[in-house]
Parts: sequence; structure tokens; C-alpha cells
Amino acid sequence: MKIWRDAGLTYIQYSNIAARVVREALRAELRADAAKRDISHVQFTPWVNGKPKPRKKQESDS
Amino acid sequence: MSFVKNARLLAARGSRLAQNRSYSDEMKLTFAAANKTFYDAAVVRQIDVPSFSGSFGILAKHVPTLAVLKPGVVQVVENDGKLIKFFVSSGSVTVNDDSSVQVLAEEAHNVEDIDVGEARQLLAKYQSQLSSAGDDKAKAQAAIAVEVAEALVKAAE
Repeated sequence: MKIWRDAGLTYIQYSNIAARVVREALRAELRADAAKRDISHVQFTPWVNGKPKPRKKQESDS
Repeated sequence: MSFVKNARLLAARGSRLAQNRSYSDEMKLTFAAANKTFYDAAVVRQIDVPSFSGSFGILAKHVPTLAVLKPGVVQVVENDGKLIKFFVSSGSVTVNDDSSVQVLAEEAHNVEDIDVGEARQLLAKYQSQLSSAGDDKAKAQAAIAVEVAEALVKAAE
């Protein structure tokens, strides 16, 4: 079995790390644009009584 | 008696399936990543993919398969015989009954777009991270990065 499996990582997490390392190894002119994909933004807007509550912005590794 | 009847039904169904298998002489490849679509149902001659169940080549009429990609080089032989190499981080490959193939990667680039010097530096960086990693999780994460960096260096050299 794979070491990362034993450490509790999933293939999705494996994939995220692999993709990040690939982006880091690109030629300089491509790297800046690729780095933007490192981070993904998720916005949660809870609705109460038909009205949106103030937005919370959460950031995470893609 | 009902068993015999069922067996006959099953046999009939099986032979119908065999006849319906629509093998095609052409292989249509869809190869996409989060960053770019490389092929959209394009007819190609051969595809070689690295997967956790080993690297394998796909020609038209390949048996239907599902596999998980591992970091490495995907080679595509286009219909005119031109060989193109891509580096994929991870993802999946699907080979369907009708000889269509989907390669979906999280990150994929032409091998020429990899900076060898940068890849070597990354390899050294993550190797030292691996040796200084504290817990199992950090160790596993660094080990993944080392594995990818090694594959990158090998592909770009």
C-alpha cells in the first residue's frame, strides 16, 4: 500500500500536491499564471428568513 | 426447470451483448486538464499513460478500462504519426467500449514547458523537507512532492 494512504491522505489530496509541484516546475513565463490555480475561493452565504446573511469568505488550498 | 429457463435467458442476453459491442477502428481521444483542453474527441493512433496499475498503451479496440493516473508522461501518437509528450500530475483515464478515451488530469503541460533546472531545485527542496518532516502526514506529503519532482526531472531531461 502507498505510504500516503497509511498516513490518512486521500487521492484528491495526493492530486492537489502533485498538481502544485507540476505548476512550480513550469518555465518562468508560465509559472505566474499557473500559480493562480494554487488557491481556490469558496464563498458561503447563509440565508435566514429569505435574506442573505453577511458573506464569509473562505480560502483553501485548491 | 426454472433454472434451465433462466440459464437460457442469461445465455441469450450474453450473446446479444457480444453482438452489440460496437468496436470502432478509430480511437477518439479527449484529453483535458484544469488548465487546458489538449484534444477534444480527436482521432489518434496511440496513447501511452502512466497509472497506478502500471503504464500502458492504448490502441483502438482496447478493452474498456478505468485507471488512476500517476505523475508522469502521457504520450500521444497522432494520426499522422507525430509523437507528442505531455506531463500529467494526476487524474483518471477511461477507455470505453466504443474506443473513445478520456484522459482527465488536474494539471497537464507539454513536456517542453517544464523547466529542468527548476525541477531539480524542487527535487532537492522536497527531499530535504522529507528528511526533516516531523509527523507521518508531513512525511507523506513531502514524499508525494519528491515522487512528482523525480518524475518531472526524468521527463524534462
